Amino acid sequence: MSETKATIEAKSEITGRVFQVEARIGQTLAADDTIMVLESMKMEIPVVAPRAGVLREICVVPEDNVEEGQVVARLSPT
Amino acid sequence: MSEAMTGAAAPAEDELTARRRAVHAMGGAAKLQARRDKGILNARERIDLLCDPASFAEMGEFAHSARPEDKDRTPADGIVTGFGKVGGRVVAVASFDLTTLGASSAMVNIRKLGYLKESASRAGIPCAFLIESAGARMPDIQGAVGMGRIGQLSSTNRERDVPWVCAVLGPCYGMGTWYAVLSDFTVMRRDATFSVSSPKVTAVALSQEITAEELGGSELHADVTGQADLVTDTDAEAIAALRAFLGYLPPNSSEAPPASTAPVQAHAPEVVEALIPTARNKVYDGRKLVEALADVGSVQPFRPRHGRTLETALARLDGQVVGIIASNPMRKGGAIDAASCDKMTEFIVLCDSFNIPLVLLADTPGFLVGLQAETQGVASKIMNNLRALALSTVPKIAVVVRKSYGQAYLNLGGGEADAVAVMTTGEVGFVDPAVAVSVVHNRRADGGAEYAALMNDMVVSNSPFELAGIFAAQAVIRPGETRDWLIRMLQVFRRRPQGGIGRHRLSTWPTNF
Repeated sequence: MSETKATIEAKSEITGRVFQVEARIGQTLAADDTIMVLESMKMEIPVVAPRAGVLREICVVPEDNVEEGQVVARLSPT
Repeated sequence: MSEAMTGAAAPAEDELTARRRAVHAMGGAAKLQARRDKGILNARERIDLLCDPASFAEMGEFAHSARPEDKDRTPADGIVTGFGKVGGRVVAVASFDLTTLGASSAMVNIRKLGYLKESASRAGIPCAFLIESAGARMPDIQGAVGMGRIGQLSSTNRERDVPWVCAVLGPCYGMGTWYAVLSDFTVMRRDATFSVSSPKVTAVALSQEITAEELGGSELHADVTGQADLVTDTDAEAIAALRAFLGYLPPNSSEAPPASTAPVQAHAPEVVEALIPTARNKVYDGRKLVEALADVGSVQPFRPRHGRTLETALARLDGQVVGIIASNPMRKGGAIDAASCDKMTEFIVLCDSFNIPLVLLADTPGFLVGLQAETQGVASKIMNNLRALALSTVPKIAVVVRKSYGQAYLNLGGGEADAVAVMTTGEVGFVDPAVAVSVVHNRRADGGAEYAALMNDMVVSNSPFELAGIFAAQAVIRPGETRDWLIRMLQVFRRRPQGGIGRHRLSTWPTNF
């Protein structure tokens, strides 16, 4: 599913592993709020909401490997 | 006698007024109204917004198309040019009038632009381009004669002797696009576009059906290509951004950037102390560090949506203009990727060309390596970047905030800066300690005491005092002391013998990589 006006896609900026998911489905997030934390380059790197929205879908679980550019969550705009 | 004089003068005045009214009507009331309905300013309103009140002196107001049949429908030949003042300082301005034959490029308006650019270089004043353009004008530029004339007239060369700024405020193809990518700072209205050719051309030439936004929209240029340095919602915001940017630059490369005379406000040192986590694996927002160190309200981000692992911004420290390059660990842990590397190189070239000292703040695990990076030719980008830093002659002050590993340490000033400080939170080495233990001892974290001891050895060897011990760093500072240290070092390393003017060995480097 590609991004439409009704969906905001949060993508991993880096290849790594899912460390922990911090936001809950249904939660209202502001732009730059943390959705989950990845582990990569020996660091904990957040995946943040690209724009304000309500978290609708989390596409990964902790320990999953993710690639750069992979969609890891979807939001609907507020 | 007075009656006779009035009688003699009246017709001339009337002709001037009438001709001026016709020129200022541009492409006609209907087209202007349609723009107004959409909240889009016209070319002359944009100049009024850019320039200080009543400061604009138009040059070529009565110019028109060289083709006799178009003479009466090409007021100013579609591009309004002249000299105005921005913040009290003289600036050359060209504003493209889309309502007049799409502000398409043709012989007379190309001559007007050439005159403007050459005059600006001679006078040592910046150029501002407010652009939207349909591209080349047909039939003027059709055929060998048309194309040959363009070759004789048109020059898009520049030697970066004066700043160029550009606002893309509508659809833009051909010549308008060249100004967007040649400028030192390019801002786009969100729904504006720029590309080499229009979707009409690509549909015919490549059978590629594509929208103008896909081909050259603000998302593409701000996020992917990096050819837009800022995106705004309105014409007025875009023009305000040009005014703000010009406020940081000298009028030409032979002058120092303008110091602010306004009272300086600074954030408390505790703000910086609180921002930087002590744990090696935690991140913070590099943009906030830049804000916390600079004079309050002085940070003007440069290309914030592209190459986000490094923040680049013009700002002031104690009233003096600086260019800040700062890792942003929030993004990819601060690892420098290809886009960030190119953005930094371009920013060094910009600052060095206009005598703006550089401040480098490192918190990076290194350059982002791997298949994708190598495919993008990251090796060449890293060396371009280091050469730019080495060839630049402005003062360069570097601070290691936390980690600074490997080649990235060198590219962020490790070998080239006038002065290097390491914060007490800093560590410098070839790689992260855990990676070093893995490579040197072939051991992975296992919770055991032996592994912990090996890790501890690696961490200690990365200590700020080790770097200071061999005088590779000249100071070890607490995070809260950083602003004061930077201000002192910028004072110390001012290029007094040259009056603060650099050698500009990068001024012929590309404006975009």
